[in-house]
Amino acid sequence: MSHTQAHVLDDVRLYTDIYRRMLLIRGFEDLVQSLFLKGEVYGTTHLYSGQEAVATGVASLLEERDRVAATYRGHGHALALGVDAQALLDEMLGRATGVNGGRAGSMNVNAPEHRLIGSFGIVGGSIAAATGAALALKRTTGGVAVAYFGDGAMNQGYVFECLNFAKVQKLPLVLVCENNGYGEYTAFRDVTAGKIRARAEVMEVPAETIDGMSVWTVREAAARLIAHTRAGNGPVFLEALTYRYVGHSRSDPGAYRPEGELDEWRARDPIALLRGRLETDGAEASRLDRIEQDVRAELDAMRERGLAAPFPSAQTVPEFAE
Amino acid sequence: MPKLSDSVADAVIVKWLKSPGEAFHRGDALLEVETDKATVVYEAETDGTLETILVPEGGTAAVGAPIAALAGAGPGAPTARAAVSADRPNATPVARRTAVELGVSLHGVEGTGPGGRIGREDVVRAAVSPTPLTVAAPAAARGDVQVLVPTATQATIARRMAESAATIPSFTVTADADVSQIVALRLGARAESGVATPSLNDFVVKAVAAALGDFPRFNASWVGDTIECYSRINVGVAVATDDALLVPVVADAGTKSLAEIAAETRRLADAARRRALRPEELQNGTFTISNLGMFGVRSFTAIVDPPQTAILAVGAVRRSPVEDATGGVVFRDVMTLTLSCDHRVVYGADGARFLSRLRELLERPLVLAL
Amino acid sequence: MAPIAFRTAVRDALDEELAADARVILFGEDVAVAGGVFATTPGLYEKYGADRVFDTPISELALAGAAFGSAITGLRPVIEIMFGDFLTLAMDMLVNQATKYRFLTQEQVAVPLVIRSVVGAGGRFGAIHSQMPASWFMGVPGLKIVAPSTPADAKSLLKAAIRDDNPVLFFEHKRLYGLEGEVDGEAGRLGQAAVVREGNDITLVTAMKSVHDASEAATALEGDGISVEVIDLRTLRPIDVETILASVRKTNRIVVVEEGPATGGWAGEVLACVTEEALGHLDEAWRIATPNTPIPYSPPLEDAFLPGADRIAAEIRRRLR
Repeated sequence: MSHTQAHVLDDVRLYTDIYRRMLLIRGFEDLVQSLFLKGEVYGTTHLYSGQEAVATGVASLLEERDRVAATYRGHGHALALGVDAQALLDEMLGRATGVNGGRAGSMNVNAPEHRLIGSFGIVGGSIAAATGAALALKRTTGGVAVAYFGDGAMNQGYVFECLNFAKVQKLPLVLVCENNGYGEYTAFRDVTAGKIRARAEVMEVPAETIDGMSVWTVREAAARLIAHTRAGNGPVFLEALTYRYVGHSRSDPGAYRPEGELDEWRARDPIALLRGRLETDGAEASRLDRIEQDVRAELDAMRERGLAAPFPSAQTVPEFAE
Repeated sequence: MPKLSDSVADAVIVKWLKSPGEAFHRGDALLEVETDKATVVYEAETDGTLETILVPEGGTAAVGAPIAALAGAGPGAPTARAAVSADRPNATPVARRTAVELGVSLHGVEGTGPGGRIGREDVVRAAVSPTPLTVAAPAAARGDVQVLVPTATQATIARRMAESAATIPSFTVTADADVSQIVALRLGARAESGVATPSLNDFVVKAVAAALGDFPRFNASWVGDTIECYSRINVGVAVATDDALLVPVVADAGTKSLAEIAAETRRLADAARRRALRPEELQNGTFTISNLGMFGVRSFTAIVDPPQTAILAVGAVRRSPVEDATGGVVFRDVMTLTLSCDHRVVYGADGARFLSRLRELLERPLVLAL
Repeated sequence: MAPIAFRTAVRDALDEELAADARVILFGEDVAVAGGVFATTPGLYEKYGADRVFDTPISELALAGAAFGSAITGLRPVIEIMFGDFLTLAMDMLVNQATKYRFLTQEQVAVPLVIRSVVGAGGRFGAIHSQMPASWFMGVPGLKIVAPSTPADAKSLLKAAIRDDNPVLFFEHKRLYGLEGEVDGEAGRLGQAAVVREGNDITLVTAMKSVHDASEAATALEGDGISVEVIDLRTLRPIDVETILASVRKTNRIVVVEEGPATGGWAGEVLACVTEEALGHLDEAWRIATPNTPIPYSPPLEDAFLPGADRIAAEIRRRLR
């Protein structure tokens, strides 16, 4: 990194904070992976490793009155919004202290008090839920609703109906497509006609495609789009090109990826990129090291606490609200 | 092929009384069947149409085998079958429950539902009177046959008495009791107007209750391999009604006064005759008294009512010459008592002692009246 | 108070609830400017404006998503899915999201949405505009299904549905829209059946249009000396089992009349509940439903298909012989 490059990061403190969060997300996903292999995380789980820049970049711009709908690959989004990492881990472990008391598990995590409407297991569901939230926010607090989804969702009926609906209704909806190249095990190119961004453009929805590995690029583009929609101009669309470093889910070793592809993307690890930028723009290496160590220690402690946490006992749940 | 005789597995079709395509109503004669006993006409149990004859005249079919195809029999009605197998009557849940509540047996209840199914109203109706049914049969050595179908109550009694005879090894003990003092007491009470006089049988009930207190093994039951003795003394008093024998129970006779017992036996007998007894008034008896004295019977042997251990048969009071203390002859009022006992629970000597105690109480009845 | 039509009762309920609670919004296809394809919502758009009452594209996925998302973000949406047959398109958001959300949030966030939908046959609309989709939804925990049979119930139960904090499917039988009746102003109670005709020989449980056919059959059966007690369920989910049991203990017989396919219908659910609790009271228990085929168009075919008054009376006569 040359010292003659201009400062890219407008706020080193803010980005140091984002750095910490990205480390937490990466470490958390590694922890979940290791616990899954030991049989402590049940069913299946979808890891966000490699995509951290998108969730943290966008979240750093959101206000208290905004809302977020994530997908089943939602740990990163939850942590980026400030959901307590221990409670999130406990939920993976199925414990009573989990953020949803063990009722939801990895794919259905929700934290309304942290603006996370939910993680939606139905592909495209996050878009529909966020559309509804936007409908309400427009009439109440003026907040925006953000929907995250992958390239695979771009072929779901929800995308077309909700884009159209939101545009006609001029809803404050931010659609963030994390294009990691694969819908489950299939390359998006093989199943997608035309371009992703074009699906929004055809409805005259402002759309941008950006480098999703660079958190400051994400933040800059997202700030622009969020301002546009917050001003009452209708929905916006952001396509972030990114990559997941592990398989679709824990049961997938990712053997369908071409040789060398993973290495290419690893060379652009968003955490390393940010670190480099931070140091160039004046952050102390030792401070960043300390942050790394703190996060690691935090995660180790979390692991112990999580494994010792109690399981919920079976309860009779009333079917209806009174 | 309906089951029209208990002793054969198949029968011959003598004559079809309806043709294919012909409709019939419930009760219409459908065909004549020859069994080992007689040629019997079988009547339709439901409305319907005879579609196809499967076994022609002269043909043989096993009981339960299809002999014709019917149509329009309504939902739930299978091909014509004889009513009700002995094992499990075709009855609805509420019919079963009602039968238990009214203390009647489902066997013998005529069902008016599909396929002869017994419904609640059938049970209620059956707890009332017998239904005579005439079946066409040729003249036989014992003349015309009139078949009487027992009422549910009668069928129950028949079953229980057979059960008693088959399972209880019984013996009897007989003694005469001098009831002159009771007779005199009663005459005196009757002379006093406004006093309801206990009957002679009421004195017997009271005496039996007292004796049972002294001989608890007679207030017991043989159950499985053990004897259960009961602390409550519930004395059943047999009452003959028009068509049946009912045994309403005077509960806790041991703690009731003679006057209370008298009032209760009067009420129960009246209710029995009006068929207004509640099920609980017919249950949980621990000893039974049967009195045929009003018919002039000197003595008789009653059958132990299971699961009780004993039953007392009481005969009529008669004037009987007895030698007195001076060697002369006096006439006393004497009544013969016959006690039948379950030999698994009590033995001859026990029976004798019990009867002896009973006689003592009846011969010196002041204690009973207190 | 003069009697009003069922459709007017629906509109009045919406009007009153829109007026009473600013969080209530109404949207769907043709509900605003056109006043509803069955004329159930005229005047509401004019009165409340596009912020509260608006038309949507033909997009059931987006409609249902909008209902769910806004219901968990502070509003009380009422949407219309024009024909019950189209509920298939709304099912993902309704079944997979709306009815599960309260549970997943550990009862922290309720989902107070209402989906109004027009159902039922007899209008000659053919196989995919005449269905009674209730049985598709009986197995969805957390969902209420309301089925009014009169203008009075249409109004009182729609008000109650809008005030209810659970997801509610509100079925409007298309052949009841013109039915007139007396209406009072009060919100009713969901989950409560009504004995609309007393009798002693048999309990007849039914809903919506069939309530009227059943009453007609009951009058005919009086001539046969059969006294029928008719119970209007009013809510199909949850079922008011207590009211039915009290009746069955009196009559010892139950027949459930469902306009819907026999297999898997709610009539079977009623019979299961009753036999579980009151087997010892039963002389008869069966259901009358529509055959396991799609709904035909031609009038004689459709009429033979439906459980009308004549068929109900004939079946009861036959069973009670």
